[in-house]
Amino acid sequence: MNSNLTNRYQVAPWRVVVVYGVMFAIIGLIVSRLISLQVITGDTWKDQAIDNYTLTISDPAPRGIILDRNGYILARNVASYNVVITPADLPDDDADVQRVYRELADLTGVPAGGPVTEETLNFAKLFSPCVPGPTIADMVALGASLAPYTPVKIACNVNEKLARIIGEKTVDLPGVAIEIEPVRDYPTGSLTANVVGFLGPIPAALQEVYEARGFVTNRDKVGYAGVEASLDDILTGKNGLRVVQRDVAGAILRNLEPPIPSTPGKNVVLTLDSRLQKAAEAALLDEIDYWNNRYFGYIRISSGVVIAMNPKTGEILAMVTYPTYENNRMARFIPGYYYEQLSQDPRRPLVNNAISAELAPGSVYKLTTATGAFNEGVIKLGQIVKTPGKLTLCERFSPNDPCTEANSRPFVDWIYERNGVINEAGFGALDFYRCIAYSSNVCFYKLGGGFEDEIPEGLGIFRLGEYARALGYGARSGIQLPGEEDGLVPSPQWKRINTGENWSTGDTYIASVGQGYVLGTPLQVLMSGAVIANRGKLMQPTIVREVQDDEGRVIPLWFDPETFSLYEEQQVEDRNGQFRTMWVNPVNPSDARLSPPEGSYQISPFTPTMKWDITRDPLINEWSCEAGYCDQTGQVKTVAPETVEAVRTGTRMAVTENPSGTLYRVFNVDYPLPIAIAGKTGTAEYCDDVARQANRCQFGAWPTHAWTLAYAPYDDPEIIVVAFAYNGGEGGTVAAPIVARVLQAYFELKSIDIAQGGGG
Amino acid sequence: MLRAIPWRYFDFWLLGAVVLATAFGTTMIRSAVAGNEVLLPLINRQIYFAFAGLVLIFVVAAIDYRFWLAIYRPMFLVIVAFLVTLTGFGQTAFGAQRWFQVGVLFLQPTEFAKIVSILVLARYFDAAQHRPRDLQWVGGAIAWASVIIILILLQPNLSNVVVLTVILMSMLWFNGMQMKHIMLFGILALILVASFVALSVAGIRIPFLQAYQQERIVNFLLPDPDATFGATYNVQQALIAIGSGGLFGAGYGYGTQTQLRFLKVRHTDFIFSAISEEFGLVGALFVILVIVLIIWRCLRTAQLARDVAGMSIAYGVATLIFFQGMVNIGVNLNIVPVSGLPLPFISYGGSGLTSLMLGIGLVESVAMRYKPLDF
Repeated sequence: MNSNLTNRYQVAPWRVVVVYGVMFAIIGLIVSRLISLQVITGDTWKDQAIDNYTLTISDPAPRGIILDRNGYILARNVASYNVVITPADLPDDDADVQRVYRELADLTGVPAGGPVTEETLNFAKLFSPCVPGPTIADMVALGASLAPYTPVKIACNVNEKLARIIGEKTVDLPGVAIEIEPVRDYPTGSLTANVVGFLGPIPAALQEVYEARGFVTNRDKVGYAGVEASLDDILTGKNGLRVVQRDVAGAILRNLEPPIPSTPGKNVVLTLDSRLQKAAEAALLDEIDYWNNRYFGYIRISSGVVIAMNPKTGEILAMVTYPTYENNRMARFIPGYYYEQLSQDPRRPLVNNAISAELAPGSVYKLTTATGAFNEGVIKLGQIVKTPGKLTLCERFSPNDPCTEANSRPFVDWIYERNGVINEAGFGALDFYRCIAYSSNVCFYKLGGGFEDEIPEGLGIFRLGEYARALGYGARSGIQLPGEEDGLVPSPQWKRINTGENWSTGDTYIASVGQGYVLGTPLQVLMSGAVIANRGKLMQPTIVREVQDDEGRVIPLWFDPETFSLYEEQQVEDRNGQFRTMWVNPVNPSDARLSPPEGSYQISPFTPTMKWDITRDPLINEWSCEAGYCDQTGQVKTVAPETVEAVRTGTRMAVTENPSGTLYRVFNVDYPLPIAIAGKTGTAEYCDDVARQANRCQFGAWPTHAWTLAYAPYDDPEIIVVAFAYNGGEGGTVAAPIVARVLQAYFELKSIDIAQGGGG
Repeated sequence: MLRAIPWRYFDFWLLGAVVLATAFGTTMIRSAVAGNEVLLPLINRQIYFAFAGLVLIFVVAAIDYRFWLAIYRPMFLVIVAFLVTLTGFGQTAFGAQRWFQVGVLFLQPTEFAKIVSILVLARYFDAAQHRPRDLQWVGGAIAWASVIIILILLQPNLSNVVVLTVILMSMLWFNGMQMKHIMLFGILALILVASFVALSVAGIRIPFLQAYQQERIVNFLLPDPDATFGATYNVQQALIAIGSGGLFGAGYGYGTQTQLRFLKVRHTDFIFSAISEEFGLVGALFVILVIVLIIWRCLRTAQLARDVAGMSIAYGVATLIFFQGMVNIGVNLNIVPVSGLPLPFISYGGSGLTSLMLGIGLVESVAMRYKPLDF
């Protein structure tokens, strides 16, 4: 032992020193790294840790509902039931999991699935949620690998009964739950689809805009058409926000910040009366059915429009278009084949033809010519115009063109040839009232284009355009519906730019009777009638009656038709702590103004807005013509009240003149009403792609659109209706019965409402 | 006989440091597995192992370490037999065969093989202390060690191969290996490591190694900047945990990375990150300090040891604790490739803790018998 102590091997001290040196070098490295991580860059790591556990959840806001003027629901949110499995909540035991799958498979019909393999998972990856295909086992396995606490949709939109059965069984089926998803429901469906519209996913192009407003792509939906689109800004409400702490598996532990609750969307009350809407639809469909299936035996009338409005307030009471679409089919998602079918249909069912179709207005445009001719003194009361069945006029492209056989062509009246019988005499001779009442083309050719010494100077295309615009043609009405067209009030300049030809005298004749280049939307035709009916006042057509919050309080709201923006009238506190009224864009609160923006009008609470009064507002520019070249003089004028009164009388006589008044038969024989009605028919020759294909674009063979416009009671009109039937034929026989039935329904409904103590 | 046991030289500083580290480790494991029902029984299990380990220290300390040197042949054969069987019958976990299931216990013979290697090498250096330090002397030590090293390499368990190699190198160093031989083996090792890294980066499989081991090295050398959830996820989460701890930490049980389980294997490989998150720089330095204290007491014992065997045992154990500890911390700090070595006395692991306790018992045994000049 002792020998070992003295004789043993000893470690050289330097070797120990080296080891200590290495040790401290390593420890020094570690400590410096620790200090660098924890002290110097600590904050960035802390942020990353916060990032790890912070989860922002958007709470969807319930979308506002849409009602008609009587409180009948047109769009609402209903519960749709989805069967879901939360992978993390499934039982631990594999046999139990299999039992859950099998029971669920028996109930829902979704296959339980066998063993999960790479192959089956890859197959399941091809499907979006809710699309049938993958098995329960595969869907759950996929979900579990991504986020075990996120419910996996096994079966979507199951019926309520099955949802309740599964709901009661969830005690025995751990992990299974019923998820309630709000889905838009339209109780009136296709009846109001053109006005109410439908929803769709947030479009990719606008994703950033919507996400900045708190929307969640692929979950939240936005309006694609109708009021759903135009009032989307207030219907959507504001999504709530919760900032929560989550663990690595995705389980939510607690709120990190006080949650911001969602603000429900505002409810919109429309001016529509769904009863009248239904009556109008029935009238239109019956009439189309009668002509197509019983009279002609082939599909002749392919589409149609009916609009009813209160001319004193501008409230649209009914707006029916045919064909239309079923918006309930787009409620969950937009089916590709259905959308394809709708968008390929040449009749354009997805488009609201009441405001988007640009059509030749035909003889209803004579209201314009009549107003202009009377106001400009082209014709006076009591003056008789000779109205033979046919006029032969020269087609002059410049004032100096000679009038020869070659450029003369016949301009016929509508009674010239009826059922093969030629009527050379025509109406013979008519005064101003009867020109309107009988809708004599020859009379209006003369008023519009002049005729020899009888009407030495007609109204002319320039002045005709002035009056057309004063009656509402040539510009969008500014109604709260997307996709409105502005029609066309043609001018020589327009023709030269668009066709490369000079304006001809014939063009003026044709335009005077609402054909040729003149185009108007059914709503514009209605507006022109409303100006006459309402003695010169054009009320802003409106589809929205009021906007309410979720407690029924009416919200003051303005609408800017130029940008489709909404402005809410609010009391806003300024920098000095004083409250002042401001108009605030609900989408962009920084867009706040001290007055409503130029061109906007109040839509809620309902206040009739007058666009203009032609008897007070100087809307008519004066023109002076010299040798065929015309220029504005810079002078403006109004339309004399007597002019409007004279035209009104003409429209009344269309109903009262027995037998030649164009509306005499329909309102006195077929649909007699104990109320004074006035109106104007229209039979517009047209030539479009469809007609060209049918080889109908030839003189004398042109197809015609049927129009009728009527208002009542004559003394104090409270309703004006326009009906349009594409390729319908004569206005008085095809469109007028539709208008008559709508007027009938309106007054019946009114008496019912009065009897019940209400008031329309 | 018991009266002959020299308890007065028992190193209570060393024992105290070990108890402190183990107690702190158990406390931290409790925080790390909170909320995970499957891992909850691990706390009690670790406590049982800790107490059993303390008893073991006293038992081993009471026995003269030279007793083990006397029975080195059967001991060596038994551990070799275990390692050979392991390759055939062991439980495969994470690709490597490392465990024996004995009842409810999972035994890792590899952990005990390290202690046996230290003892066997200590016996060799003691016996060969008077021989010249030529290549034959070096070869003898390598021969003894390489039997166990090769068996562990076959498992394959690269980290422990490195641990054993480092222990062998350290013991060779303290026993007077010549500088020229160190240079020779250093160059050989460099070539080996360089070719290993080159092949791994090039993606060529090396026999005896698992694909994941090569991948880890590639990931460490060339991290993919986009791979948040890939192979670098664990290390990234560890860095977030450590960094977010700051100076004083989030507080016991309040570290979000640990409690919300963003940090993976937080009770074993990444327990240092959990400590750093919940106790901050202060806690991390405390852990390092305690481990350094343990190592220092072992080195002190080595210097006092009365014979070469005792000295070699103490140096071997000190190297084992130091190397494992620093590699583990280095992994947590992303300055060493992911290895799977536990943090001594602190990480969860029965076999690891027991074998370390055995090592401490041996050091205590050496310390108690150093025979100072006390008259």
